Formats: sequence, C-alpha cells, structure tokens
Amino acid sequence: MIELSTLTYLFMAVTGVISMIATYLAVLEKDLVKAVVYSALQSTAYTLLFYLLMAPDISLVYIPVAVGLYPAVILFLIKKTERMEGDEK
Amino acid sequence: MRIRKILPLLSLSILILTLSLAFTSGALGYYFPLPGVRMLASWYLYTTLNPQFPEFSAMSPEAVTAIVWDYRGLDTLFETAVFFLAIVGALALMRGISLKSVVENNTATVEVEGNGLSPIVKTASRPLTPLIIAVSASIALHGHLTPGGGFQGGSAAAVAPLLLLVIFSVYFLVKRGISEKPMLVLRTVGLLGIYVTAFLAVIAGLVLGVNAYVFQNQPKFDAPVGVPAYVFNTLLSGTLFLFNLFEYLAVAGGFTLVFILLSIPEEIARSVLGGEEYE
Repeated sequence: MIELSTLTYLFMAVTGVISMIATYLAVLEKDLVKAVVYSALQSTAYTLLFYLLMAPDISLVYIPVAVGLYPAVILFLIKKTERMEGDEK
Repeated sequence: MRIRKILPLLSLSILILTLSLAFTSGALGYYFPLPGVRMLASWYLYTTLNPQFPEFSAMSPEAVTAIVWDYRGLDTLFETAVFFLAIVGALALMRGISLKSVVENNTATVEVEGNGLSPIVKTASRPLTPLIIAVSASIALHGHLTPGGGFQGGSAAAVAPLLLLVIFSVYFLVKRGISEKPMLVLRTVGLLGIYVTAFLAVIAGLVLGVNAYVFQNQPKFDAPVGVPAYVFNTLLSGTLFLFNLFEYLAVAGGFTLVFILLSIPEEIARSVLGGEEYE
C-alpha cells in the first residue's frame, strides 16, 4: 500500500518535471505566442506545487496572475511588436 | 544553431541535478512540508487568534494575512508602493490619450458594437463575469478568515475586465464607464484607504490622549487603543479587514487601468504620442 506522503512526493516530482520541460520549450520557441502558452503551462505546474507545499495563499495569487494577467500583458506587448523571434541566419 | 538548444538544456539539467542532490542529502530538510510545527510557527499560531491575550494577538484565524498586514505591515505597504509606481510609469508613458474622446469621435457606433469575438463567446462570458467578481470579492473580504487577501482577490477581479476587453473590445468597456479615469479613482481610493487605516490607531490615540503606534491593530501594553476586532459579533480582525478591502480596490483598479492603457490601438497611441511628426 502506497502511503499518502509518497504519493504527494511522486506527484510533486511529476509536476516539477512538467514545469522544467515547459520552461525549456518556452526558452527555445521562436513563436512568441506559443512561448507564452508554454510559460503559462509552467505556471500552472508551479501553482500545483505551491498547493502541495501547503501554501494556498500563494496558489490563489498565482492562478490569476501567472495564468491570466501575465500572459495577457505579454500578448498585448507581442501585438505591438512582431510575433516571430528574428532568426540569426 | 546547436549551442542555442544545448545551453538551456545544460543549465536546466544542472539545476535539476543540484536540487536533487540537495534534497537527497537533506540540505533543505528531509520532509516537504514539515510533518510537525516549528517553534516560530507555533508562536504565530498561538498569537494570531487568542482572545485570552489580546495584547499579543492579531485576532485573525488566518496566520498568513496576520503576518502580511499586522506583524510586518510596513513591508506590505512598500510592496503596494512598488505596484503603485509601476502603474504611475504606465500612466506617464500613455499620457494625453483619452479613450473617451476616441469613442466619441468614432461616429460608427454600429461598428463599435460589432467588435470582438463571436456571439457564442460573448453569450458565455456574460454570466461568467459577475461570477468572477463575486469569487474575487469573497477571496478578498474573507482574507482574514480563509486563505486569500487583498492582492489575491484584486488580481482575480482584474481577470473579469480583461475577459471583457478581449471578448467585447475596449470600446465596450469604455462605453459602460470602465475607462482610465474611474479606474484611477478606484486605485487612489484604495491607496488612500490603506494610508488612513495605517494611521487609525494613531488618530484614536491623539483624540484620547494615549500612546499609539502606526500600523497598530489590537491594543498593546503601552498603547491601549486599537481597531475593534469584532463588529456586531462578527470577527473582522480590526485593521486586517480594512487593509484587505482597500488593497482589493487598489489592485483591481490598477491592473484594469494597465490593461485598458495597453489595449489602446497602436495607431491612436502613436498619433497622440508622436505629435506632429507622426504621419
């Protein structure tokens, strides 16, 4: 029988790996809109981590800021410049 | 380029390996979160809601809100000041642009109504927006009882005008009175409220002729005045409820203001900011 704490650690590990992969994709992505989506995915993973680490206050502020407001600001800024990152060929 | 792909991968793997090493060797503690309660935490839990010792207590069951606005309220005040300065910066960049005049000059009112996404999305978001406002208000106004608080509630509330902005276009918001000026007023009222709440005990102390401190919540040994914790038998935790309420207004107004400024079409912004040189 798996203990609850072990299950929590396992879930935290999986969430952490997902956030790492999302960060890597966000750094590499040339399409800035897709990069924002990857960044929001990473923030969602962090929200879960904060909740599992028993910080519900941080989770509550992380959901609207990191999934709603911050991607919105970045998308507005992308709209004012170019969508694709310039390639160095 | 290959190095552009390898370098982030390398740095991320180093981070993962270093963190794993730190976790396994117990540098950050073996248990997350800790199974027991530490000394400092038990002191906070003992004092946050303890009606037997009102001189020590913050009179709030929520330790995080009590720490943020009572134990280290000055710190939070300056955090709010940083947010305030960022919005002052955005306002300074977009000075001279009035969305109201843009809407009034736009003669084609039918076109204004026709902006935004499809009617399906609009219909779905109509009942959703008041729900977001209600949830955010409950997060902010119950901040002294349950996890949450002014900043959390305020940023959740700012999602509602953001949705309207994207789904219905900025002209819809401005036509319904949610433009820069009312948001500026809302934010200023919030900040003024925080400022006055910080001085409430001092004002009471001056009137009664006793000692009192800035940011004082409950009565202390050498300062017997304070903000009442119970109003009509309802636990309001003195200053904590007021700080949460005003921070809610300030943050919601501030974020909405920034989004309205950012969503002004680029041509209009350039024609005002560029002056004579813009063609």
